[in-house]
Amino acid sequence: MASVAAPKARERIDRLQRIWEEPSGVVGWLTTVDHKRIGLMFFFTSLAFFAAGGVEALLIRTQLISPNGGLLSPNAFDEAMTMHGVTMIFLVVVPMSIGAFGNYLLPLMIGARDLAFPRMNALSFWIYLASGIFVYTGLAIGSAPNAGWFDYLPLGSKQFAPGPNIDFYTLGLIFNGLSTTATAVNLIVTTFKLRAPGMSLNRMPLFCYAMLATSFALVFALPPLNTALIFLELDRAVGFHFFDIAKGGDTLLWQHLFWIFGHPEVYIIILPAFGIATAIIPTFTRRKMVAFPLVALAEVLVAFIGFGVWVHHMFAVGLETITTIYFAAASLIIVIPSGIQLFAWITTILTGTPRFKTPLLWIVGFIVLFLLGGLSGVTFAAIPFDQQLTDTYYVVAHFHYVIFGAAVFPLLGGMYYWFPKVTGRMYYERVGQASFWLSFVGMNLTFFPMHIVGLLGMPRRQYTYPSGLGWTGYNLVETIGSYLLAAGLLLVVTNLAVSLFRGARAGNDPFGGDTLEWSTSSPPPSYNYAVIPRVTSPYAMWDREDREADERDLAGGGKRVLETGHETPASSVLDADWDEVLDMPSKSWAPLLLAAMLAATFAMLLTRHYVVAATCGALALLVLGGWHWKEPQEA
Amino acid sequence: MSEPSHSTRATSGVAASYAARRRISFPLGWWGVMLLVATETAFFGTLIASYFYLRLKAHQWPPAGIDPPDMTAPLILTGVLVTSSVPMLLAVRAARDARTGRTWLLLLVAALIQAAYLGVQIHFFGSDLDKFDPGDNAYGSIYFTLLAAHHLHVLVGILLIVWLLARLVTGLTNYRVTAVWVVAIYWYFVSILAVAVVLTQISPSL
Repeated sequence: MASVAAPKARERIDRLQRIWEEPSGVVGWLTTVDHKRIGLMFFFTSLAFFAAGGVEALLIRTQLISPNGGLLSPNAFDEAMTMHGVTMIFLVVVPMSIGAFGNYLLPLMIGARDLAFPRMNALSFWIYLASGIFVYTGLAIGSAPNAGWFDYLPLGSKQFAPGPNIDFYTLGLIFNGLSTTATAVNLIVTTFKLRAPGMSLNRMPLFCYAMLATSFALVFALPPLNTALIFLELDRAVGFHFFDIAKGGDTLLWQHLFWIFGHPEVYIIILPAFGIATAIIPTFTRRKMVAFPLVALAEVLVAFIGFGVWVHHMFAVGLETITTIYFAAASLIIVIPSGIQLFAWITTILTGTPRFKTPLLWIVGFIVLFLLGGLSGVTFAAIPFDQQLTDTYYVVAHFHYVIFGAAVFPLLGGMYYWFPKVTGRMYYERVGQASFWLSFVGMNLTFFPMHIVGLLGMPRRQYTYPSGLGWTGYNLVETIGSYLLAAGLLLVVTNLAVSLFRGARAGNDPFGGDTLEWSTSSPPPSYNYAVIPRVTSPYAMWDREDREADERDLAGGGKRVLETGHETPASSVLDADWDEVLDMPSKSWAPLLLAAMLAATFAMLLTRHYVVAATCGALALLVLGGWHWKEPQEA
Repeated sequence: MSEPSHSTRATSGVAASYAARRRISFPLGWWGVMLLVATETAFFGTLIASYFYLRLKAHQWPPAGIDPPDMTAPLILTGVLVTSSVPMLLAVRAARDARTGRTWLLLLVAALIQAAYLGVQIHFFGSDLDKFDPGDNAYGSIYFTLLAAHHLHVLVGILLIVWLLARLVTGLTNYRVTAVWVVAIYWYFVSILAVAVVLTQISPSL
């Protein structure tokens, strides 16, 4: 900062540094409550799981490169396929988008110094890490979940899956859901209460709207999944009969509960990507987003309508016609808010002055892929068409365009976009563009032919296929594409890894960004902002007078300089009137300890040691009591 | 606007009371517990929906050999649990008025009512288990799962009050005034839930 030279400002920054500093080294990371450090831990953990899920995908594609492939046994294929789905959805996309991007960026964008519940945030990460290890333990001991990520019954019942495979799935996902719910609650309360005084809801960046909508969807979508998983585990472990038709249960109950969660989950996956797109586009087109209120409303509407379309995953199971027609109509309606956003992005780019740097390239790629995936998605609302294509590769093609093309591409674009902010260094632009094109071509080569083999009738989830059905050539292309795609993703990681050490110094604001995070240093200091920023529009960084006023406050003091403790302001929900100054908790061992106790509880449930499990649960409660013994103002 | 208050530094009853009255919007803890209530509502919503889903699929509910549930005892018990919201409400007010002793006593009264409720409910749960088993059929599975889920929530609520009682020994702070409020909201929710659960439980006899 320019005014750092002023001695008063220097003094303030030193004081804040002392107040907010955390221990260095391993202990610092194990006890941290800093949202940026926790965000980074979420990022690297989800990146590791991304690699694991990617290897599983390559195994699947290598097995299917030619007819009658022999690389994987049928059971190994089932495990690879199931673990690929479970990993990518529960351990990669959701934790990376809300745990890493949401966690790191949301407080910065709203001018806060931390999340609303910093220790719960740390707990959320440790539970996530433990749940990932829990699920992968199944793979390590040769008993990975193997009934598909949707785990249809009766395939996943004790009768047809007697081993512990499915128990790793049920208990692992219940455990994982705790982390996701905690993060969602944290992000909602942070967005509502910790916005910099003056940032009324209509001055909040669209990225934050997307995170808010996602978090609300999570709060309501995970309980049906947990209900289903608890039922299944009770069926499997102690002989209950929720899904046993012979004893009055119903297998379709699983499908209903699973998809009441499962379809909102699709929007939970994609909404943060929408948010990243709306953050990147204004910066690189030098223009404010077209139709700001409509886009904000559309983001919320997508999350809401997403709860009313689940039966379109079940058109082929034989429900009543009237039910299917209602859900077909609902599935058509959701096109409208999605379309509003699509047109808003395109119009913003067309009417702006776009600079096609790497981050924007990924977003343009995302728009193209989302359009294709969206168009094939609408076709499922046509019930007879859906019944023909259900369980074929056409479905696989569709949801990879949506989940990989539309959800992961913006995450990759976001990695490039915020890399200078997080590390203080620039990535290599040309290599960045090359990595995009390689991934884009690889992605389309992998997934576009799947539409065709799907229409030709190739069923999904099969470990092999015979020759002479006209599928062979397409499958070969798909496998080649998947290796190109893997090369593209490796290039992204290599680019960023090398840039971390050799990249040019980035400065605070290398792109002329529009949101607040670009006003602080790169990487941001532990207290985020020395002066709580003034905000008069959703494009706070483009309001020069406000930023200059902040600089003057830093030298001159005033009530927006909070420097007597771990302080952050709390404001009213709609208008962001300044209500209180909060003292936030600092470093703590309790979250890590509690997560360890919970992990022990779940491990004991898995091995059917119920008394030990109850003991571990009671210890977890004791830790929780101890945690809350220390109040924030004392910590 | 006047200077925003450092409410978290209110470590005496009087200061906490003053901070609570000055506040112009709900505190963080209020939002936290409301979102907990929201996600728990969705959880019990799907449990109860599953109950009626299974019932609609059944030819006979409860299945042959199991008596329809008794109505009197569960309804009276639920009525007792709901009344514990009155001392909870009064405890919130007392805490906000910086009356530590009164808050403590009211919380104790509420916890005693709730503990009595839970004790009797566990007794009935046991005697139900003597009559039929969750492993017999889907009715037994959902019946005992639904009730156990609710009893577990009552137990958590009682533990929360025990924790508050232990904390209030050293007086009120801003944090504890909010905590009393938050635990009370949790209890209103558990009470409403008790009504929904008991109506589901006795629905075959209605």
